Amino acid sequence: MIKITNLEKYYRTDEVETVALNKISIEIKQGEFVAVMGPSGCGKSTLLNVLGLLDDADNGSYLFNGTEVIKYNERQRAQIRKQNIGFVFQSFNLIDELSVYENVELPLIYLDVKPSERKTRVEEVLDKMQIMHRKKHFPQQLSGGQQQRVAVARAVVNNPKLILADEPTGNLDSSNGNEVMQLLTDLNEKGTTIIMVTHSEHDSKYSHRIIRMLDGATVTENILM
Amino acid sequence: MIKNYLLLTFRNMSRNKVFAFINIFGLSIGLAACILIFLYTKDELSFDRFHQNTSRLYQLTCTVKSHDGKLETYGIAGNIHAEAFKAEIPEIKEFVRLRDDDLVIKIGDQSYEEKLWWADKNFFSVFSFPLIEGDKNSVLKDMKSMVISEEYAKKYFGNENAIGKIIEVEFDDQFVPFTVTGIAKKTPQNSSIKFDMIASFDYLQSMNPKPAWFMLSYPSFLVLNENADVKAIANSMQKVYNSKSGYQKMEKDGFDSKFIWGLQPFVDMHLNKDIKYSMSVSDPVYSYILSCIALFILIIACINFVNLMVAQSLKRSKEIGVRKVIGGSRKQLFVQFIGEAFTMCFIAFGLAFLIAELSLPYFNTLAEKELSIGYLFDAKLIAGFVLLFLITVLASGFYPALVLSGFDPVRTLYNRTTFSSKNYLVKGLVVLQFSLATFLIIGTLFIYNQLNFLKKVDLGYDDKNLLQVSISKGDNMALLRQFQDKVAALPGVESVAPTMDGDWVTSGKVDGKNIEAKYDFIGEEFLPTMKVPLIEGRNFSKEFPGDTSTCVLVNQAFVKEVGWKGSAIGKTIKELNGMEQNLKVVGVVRDYHFESLHEKIIPQVFTCDKMVTLQRFLISIGQKNKSKTLAGIEQVYTQLLPYHPFKYEFIDDVNKQYYKAEDKWKQIISMAAILTIFISCIGLFGLSSLAVQKRVKEIGVRKVLGASVMQISNLLTRNFISLIAIAFVIAVPAAWYAGNMWLQNYAYRMPFNASIFLLALVIILVVSLATISFQSIKAAITNPVKSLRSE
Repeated sequence: MIKITNLEKYYRTDEVETVALNKISIEIKQGEFVAVMGPSGCGKSTLLNVLGLLDDADNGSYLFNGTEVIKYNERQRAQIRKQNIGFVFQSFNLIDELSVYENVELPLIYLDVKPSERKTRVEEVLDKMQIMHRKKHFPQQLSGGQQQRVAVARAVVNNPKLILADEPTGNLDSSNGNEVMQLLTDLNEKGTTIIMVTHSEHDSKYSHRIIRMLDGATVTENILM
Repeated sequence: MIKNYLLLTFRNMSRNKVFAFINIFGLSIGLAACILIFLYTKDELSFDRFHQNTSRLYQLTCTVKSHDGKLETYGIAGNIHAEAFKAEIPEIKEFVRLRDDDLVIKIGDQSYEEKLWWADKNFFSVFSFPLIEGDKNSVLKDMKSMVISEEYAKKYFGNENAIGKIIEVEFDDQFVPFTVTGIAKKTPQNSSIKFDMIASFDYLQSMNPKPAWFMLSYPSFLVLNENADVKAIANSMQKVYNSKSGYQKMEKDGFDSKFIWGLQPFVDMHLNKDIKYSMSVSDPVYSYILSCIALFILIIACINFVNLMVAQSLKRSKEIGVRKVIGGSRKQLFVQFIGEAFTMCFIAFGLAFLIAELSLPYFNTLAEKELSIGYLFDAKLIAGFVLLFLITVLASGFYPALVLSGFDPVRTLYNRTTFSSKNYLVKGLVVLQFSLATFLIIGTLFIYNQLNFLKKVDLGYDDKNLLQVSISKGDNMALLRQFQDKVAALPGVESVAPTMDGDWVTSGKVDGKNIEAKYDFIGEEFLPTMKVPLIEGRNFSKEFPGDTSTCVLVNQAFVKEVGWKGSAIGKTIKELNGMEQNLKVVGVVRDYHFESLHEKIIPQVFTCDKMVTLQRFLISIGQKNKSKTLAGIEQVYTQLLPYHPFKYEFIDDVNKQYYKAEDKWKQIISMAAILTIFISCIGLFGLSSLAVQKRVKEIGVRKVLGASVMQISNLLTRNFISLIAIAFVIAVPAAWYAGNMWLQNYAYRMPFNASIFLLALVIILVVSLATISFQSIKAAITNPVKSLRSE
């Protein structure tokens, strides 16, 4: 599903150039659950953003479902994103001014899904995430675990093939964290590819494979299956 | 999608109530100002357009070329011109002459003073003034017929039918009965011709049947043929004048003015101030200034909108990032933010109508109009509003939408968005706002100071407790004498000085030099009553019977203009009033301001001719028991003139009237200044509170490291104050230039006064400091633990 080869990414300021991704090459197959680990600043999140087409790389190749997307412009990347990729963040990133229902509905609006179908799909996913009873609440009225469940619901409502999760349990206590990990595992079992950045050895155990990074490059890959 | 945007807009507004309020309220004030100016301008442009004949209707104009080559155009003619031109030129279909007189009328036993119009009998068929009663073709046919307005019918006859009622009009002590033959609807407020009583011109003509080719005093209007050649008609009129008026003979007798006849489209009359004595002329510069002010206010409000949206964008960056991550395109986000601007502007627009409606009575007083909001609803104006609305949406929403929709999602979601502290646009706009506000503050101070200066200028005479009463009994010398003596004998009256009514200017010849001078007929009481001192010589006096025919007083300006060296006493004026007279100067009067201070004091000549009737009385009264003294004067007046309503004016009130326009502008400009400062400051309030929010962590750290409250609030205030200082530096030269241009209208100007600029600086600094300090002190005294935790 994903194949990156010799991918490079630099951050430049006036005087300093920092290498964020250093000739990194990874292949991830459909249906895999991959954890990316490494110390702070090693480039995990950058990698995730490049994979999610939120950020562009400076060099290298990126095949997404067999198509080279490295040179895609903002509009083309947005197109791929909204059809194929769901995101889950450590800090949930829900829109505070929208209710639970409206937050989950948003990706479908951008996909021009009809209102009646939107309703069915949003309710279905809220039900699955067991937060249906909170659909009229606003994010601040929910616990961290509930907020992350809403974020997961939003990420999966358009049935993406790929979910990118950036430390999804980082802001949660262990029981809420486990619940979220269970959700991701369930999704993976139904065929969704998951790439998750994490600091937690515990969480990484849910994955099939761990990619360890240091200074912008992969150092080891452990296969856990 | 739209529902989602709307929802978000309203939720955002309710969450950020202060900003929503600043944006919407500021915009609605700006828009309300625009609505009022639209109303005003529409009214100005619609003047006289309700007449059906407008395309064929012209005013007769006369350009007078005087002996020194000066040209002056008048909107009046003699009693004969329109009639003579129509008789000779077939393209002229009809003519109407008008004239107004203040006359005493009597209804039953009651008498009143009213303005009576005289008009040719086709007045109501040429002009479209609808009649409630009476036939437009015949109401003024009878020589003693009169049409009154519905208002006057009610005022004088109550619920009775006014048709057929008698209104007596006084001419030379005789009351002449006129019959009411028609009742006219109230004249529209956008009509140059406004009347309440209008009688047949034939009667006026019958009293003065002599054709007057060289006396201009009648506004005259012509109806031309469809598609008539106006230039050709003007040429024909000139030919008629040249052949019929007999001006050649007049020229031989010394009449040295040339009359050039022309036509002005009737609908152009109102906004053309170059034609003197046109009816109800308005200077279009008022419309321009008012429009500029409205635009200023709207721009400032739009700037608030832009600045607050951009400054707030940090807060909204997460939302933007999320929307982009889950598939929102930049275009969709742009539409969303423009949509928000649209919604806010829409609410502001609704509020603006309310504000405009509420402030209309005040605006009407200022603008001397009777406008109503209902006036707004016509297709063109509605189109204008839609345009204004869209421009406002774009002006306020475009830039923020562009900036916000361009945020990089990765940076926003990982809290890496920083707002460049340079941010020249926001700063530039704040500078622009405060430049405009400072400009208006300085403008207001200029007007205040100049007006104060004018009020304090020593007029050269004492205008306090001095009143004037006029008696329109030109030939009744005995009655005038009686009035003077009786009033002078009243307790509380200090002195009474008869003078000639009206302002007269004459030309004379002194030592071979032509001189133009103000010409006053006075008695010996004049100078003591006015408390004007003599520089040399003596006043007129009964002890010198020769004073009445051979002696004059002149003022200092006269002496200076003629160039007499040494004493002027005994010098002679060879010619005055176009006659050889050999008048001897017996006294020089100190210059005094007999006109407004817009004008310089010109040479002045006083004569004391016992044969001239002096109908205007200057009465100096004591400070004590003023009302009793006035009642005494009234009693004398009504005894002598039983049917004349008693009217008087205090001279200091008359003098104040000279500066009525300035007083009006003082109010308008200070109102505009207050509004612009207010809107600029609410914007500043918003910006400073956002600046504080952005720096919460920094403030916390600084406090932990030991910064004092003063140091912290200085830190936050400094940036804004430097912007305001820049704005001040920009505004000063512009305001100074504009102020000086305005002062050119006055012959007497306040001395240059740096304190105006200093005061403006103090005002703008104090107001803006107060605005910013509120936020910065609040931030500075917050417990640092709290601000650090909130990060």
